[in-house]
Amino acid sequence: MKLSVRGLTLAYAGRTVIEDVSFEIASGEMVAIIGPNGSGKSTLLRGMARLHRPRRGMVLLGETDIRSMGARQVARTLAVLPQSPDGGLDLTVRELAWRGRFPHQGVLQRATKPDYEAVDWAMHVADVQRLAERPLISLSGGERQRAWIALALAQQPRVLLLDEPTSFLDIAHQVEVMQLLRRLNTEGMTVVSVLHDLVLAARFTDRAIAIDNGRIAFDGAPKAVFEPKALEAVFGCAMMILTDPESGLPIPLPRSAVGALPVAAPGA
Amino acid sequence: MAGMAADTTAEPEALHIRSSFRGRPRPMILVPLAVLALIIIGTLSMMYGAVNLTLPDVWSGLTSNSNVFARNVVWQIRYPRLLDGMIVGASLAVAGSLLQGVTRNPLADPTILGITAAAGLASATAIVIDRQIPQWGIAMSCVGGGLFGAGVLFVIAWRGAISPVRLALAGVALSAFFGAAIVALLSSSRTFLQTSLGFLAGGLYGAEWNDFHAMLPYVIPGLLAAWLLSGRLNVLALGDDVASGLGVATDRTRLLILAVCGVLTGAAVSVAGLVSFVGLVCPHLARFTVGPDNRYQIPVSALYGAILVAAADLVARLVIAPSEIPMGIVTAGVGAPFLLYLVKVKG
Repeated sequence: MKLSVRGLTLAYAGRTVIEDVSFEIASGEMVAIIGPNGSGKSTLLRGMARLHRPRRGMVLLGETDIRSMGARQVARTLAVLPQSPDGGLDLTVRELAWRGRFPHQGVLQRATKPDYEAVDWAMHVADVQRLAERPLISLSGGERQRAWIALALAQQPRVLLLDEPTSFLDIAHQVEVMQLLRRLNTEGMTVVSVLHDLVLAARFTDRAIAIDNGRIAFDGAPKAVFEPKALEAVFGCAMMILTDPESGLPIPLPRSAVGALPVAAPGA
Repeated sequence: MAGMAADTTAEPEALHIRSSFRGRPRPMILVPLAVLALIIIGTLSMMYGAVNLTLPDVWSGLTSNSNVFARNVVWQIRYPRLLDGMIVGASLAVAGSLLQGVTRNPLADPTILGITAAAGLASATAIVIDRQIPQWGIAMSCVGGGLFGAGVLFVIAWRGAISPVRLALAGVALSAFFGAAIVALLSSSRTFLQTSLGFLAGGLYGAEWNDFHAMLPYVIPGLLAAWLLSGRLNVLALGDDVASGLGVATDRTRLLILAVCGVLTGAAVSVAGLVSFVGLVCPHLARFTVGPDNRYQIPVSALYGAILVAAADLVARLVIAPSEIPMGIVTAGVGAPFLLYLVKVKG
């Protein structure tokens, strides 16, 4: 399902954080939102997920303004995973995944067969079945992130939004999470993640939208738009782009400005 | 936070609710045992007090007119008092469960957050204004006071950022303020001092059918609403953004839950005065028994509250029989060490 952002202006504590931003994410795209700290990219994601009321403009899920839909109705189509959620530590993975069924259940929440199937599917896809009865508190960072993804998947969303799903994870777990998202995407899910890691963005997404100072700085396939000048302008950091010899994908790296770095004295 | 998420063995920050027995099987067998305990305590409550009845006395008093004395003791005094105690306990325990869930703070409870004192102030005010006020009037003003206390808490603690620490501080301040106002009010009307003691410490002295009937219109919808809100409370426990993402209107839900706490606490205070610690202890025991799912935790918490207050009232009647001590002293005697345990073990 496509997601359209139209003239979106978002303010946070009276300050405009996202200003008149428009773009469209087609059904089945895999998109990274990148940008420096404080650029407004997390706020933009929150706005797209109906967590932040726009000052102007709107977000359309399919053809409908998400503000005109009920929160539950949105949650049945669109799932959002905030950055490192901190609740639910005493729940088991299965209990956490079950809470993803909330938007589909009535007041008394009687579990139905589709509920069981959705939870099983979510835990299977997120690869947390063998952790099902473990409480979240006992899991490693990577396992915990997969458990949260299972919660989002139990919603059976067609659009999945994630805020820095790889933060605090070691490199193997980062790749694991990105591969999981990629797999979901190839099965038809629209996936939009805020990513700090440009290498992951280049490797795992079809399109990078760079946000700088509340506006779109550039937007396109990483292979086309990851240029040193463009990245330097956004991140304020001297960059170079290598090419992955295996995949031909760009690898953006900060330049090693040797002269600018303090060099440790011998013996120190 | 960075360290926490990266470190597999890191403890979470202190103020999150968690079971101290995580990962172990949940001892759900305690639920039928608790029902059994409630039956036993109920039976003992019918037998013992200022005068002691035998079990056959109680039975004939309940079922026939043959023993007029037993019939009067059982039907006019002990049975309504037992029911009052169970309802007071269940209401306070459920209010505590809701508060601990909505604040994500294991130390939250209607007394600590000042809702009990707000209801008590309303009760004291109503009695001082009109000494002949009927019980339904007291119940109504207590519920009003409880709602007011919950509303003040919401406005103070939830404008802007939500912080458990801020909430606890606001609660302590409100509790102290309303508590001082109650004492000021009661001490300025001298004749009340004797009964005031029972009210301030919390007790069921003289609780009767009137009290029962005055509480029910608030307690039944309150408990029902608590149970209906339990699914949303489950989702709210995951954090605001996750809850909103799952379709819960977080602020509206919190306001509703606090209102239910105000109603339940007010109803309980109208009969039993300022009983403390029931709402603190029972949710923890319920979580220990059935885990963090509020759909199960809330009914079990109600059951434990009923047992705790019924048992505490029995003890309060027996320790210096034929006289009695305020029941709230007994719950405090159980609850205060439990609070210390929470502080020490759960940090």
